[in-house]
Amino acid sequence: MQGLHLVGVSHAYGTTPVLDNISLTVPAGEVVCLLGPSGSGKTTLLRIAAGMERLQAGRVTIDETVVAEPKSQMPPEDRRIGYMFQDYALFPHLSVLDNVTFGLFRQDKAAARERAMEMLGQVGMTRHAHKHPHMLSGGQQQRVALARALAPEPRLVLLDEPFSGLDTDMRARIREQTLTVLKRNKVATLMVTHDPEEAMFMADRIKVLGENGRVLQAGRPADIYYKPANEYVARLFGPMNMIDGIVEQGELRSSFGVIAAKGVADGQAVRVLIRPEGLILSNGGGGREGGTPVDILSAHLLGDSSMVRFQVREGVNSGEEFQVRIPGAFDLTEKGQVWACVDLRHVFQYPQE
Amino acid sequence: MVEITPSYEIEVETIDTDHRRLVNIINEITQAIDDKREEECARLVPDFVTFSKQHFAREEALLVQNGYPGVEKHREHHASLEGKMNTMLALAERVVESAAARDELRKELIFFLMDDVINEDMDFKSFLVDAASREGE
Repeated sequence: MQGLHLVGVSHAYGTTPVLDNISLTVPAGEVVCLLGPSGSGKTTLLRIAAGMERLQAGRVTIDETVVAEPKSQMPPEDRRIGYMFQDYALFPHLSVLDNVTFGLFRQDKAAARERAMEMLGQVGMTRHAHKHPHMLSGGQQQRVALARALAPEPRLVLLDEPFSGLDTDMRARIREQTLTVLKRNKVATLMVTHDPEEAMFMADRIKVLGENGRVLQAGRPADIYYKPANEYVARLFGPMNMIDGIVEQGELRSSFGVIAAKGVADGQAVRVLIRPEGLILSNGGGGREGGTPVDILSAHLLGDSSMVRFQVREGVNSGEEFQVRIPGAFDLTEKGQVWACVDLRHVFQYPQE
Repeated sequence: MVEITPSYEIEVETIDTDHRRLVNIINEITQAIDDKREEECARLVPDFVTFSKQHFAREEALLVQNGYPGVEKHREHHASLEGKMNTMLALAERVVESAAARDELRKELIFFLMDDVINEDMDFKSFLVDAASREGE
């Protein structure tokens, strides 16, 4: 099948294992993101695919050509791979056009120039073709880096934290443009990032790597977010509210009401995690049916949403603090009792040892 | 078109035959999507899920028969795919009216088979190949 295929890749630095039997597929035209913290081995995996790190165990295949086995490794320059890194890695002494033309040395000059201009056109940088990198903003440099990566029509593109050097506003725009260009060119793309939001935006499939270099979960962004396989994966996406308890008659009692315990035996300890957007605040109308009474502790407006901290007044979680994300601003001047209830779509349960 | 090229072969005939059958169903589904025969696509996805489950059962029996030590872990992996199969069935019900569902279904089918099914089967490839060669001696 066209694309990247890694099978059974394991790797160690000295006696420290960093990758443990990783297999993955990136079909042509799709984007797979490796998401994990520093030390999870994601950059090592990228370097192995690129040929910058010698493969110790497993096999790497690109478009059905074996490019690495422990006994034989194809040099990086023969693998037809495009790279895009956080620091852009443009040649400072070359113009934008010459940077993009650089990888087209196998073509004659006119064809290389035509292809480079075509790619600069795709990323909206045609009018900057004769400038040097220092004359460009970070976002513009990253667009040039993308054009350079794609100009030689690679079989695979590797992105290593490509947007982390950009400010928030620029990052959103550049990653959207990058995704559009990658999809238009139907190239297999493997990206590593520690930023869950970035992975969610870019990926057709996310592979979450744990600290021990193992895949903890693989799936669509929606699967990873709404059906996290374990507590570690659930917590990757930001702060969580937590309720610990013992299952009784198939349920966990909480101040917010009973929560059905799925697949957890009676008498077993269970941890329930609730995302901040999984709690719902209401003012009066819902009454006791609408949840549990709470005292508001603080409200911080974050722009288009607010993070509100509250304390539960009664029941088994009385005195415990929770945080909820609500759209827009929270009106602290509004009178009346505030109630909180749970949106079960954002509730995850994990049996405890 | 998806195909089982050499890097995706487990080299155990019964398993590779099942994988090829699953690939054929995926190709029929994507062809139906391309030809705008969405009703047929919706009909084929349950076939894919049913055959996947039959394949899992056959594979687990083969692993037990050969004394593969990781059989329980692999059985758990198969069980963990239930949610993804349900997602594919749900997407199949939306393909007639939603282009986004068609696109998502196409991607999910390919990743499910190549990554969740075949790549995970690579874990026991050498064990079964070795077992077969011992049997042949």
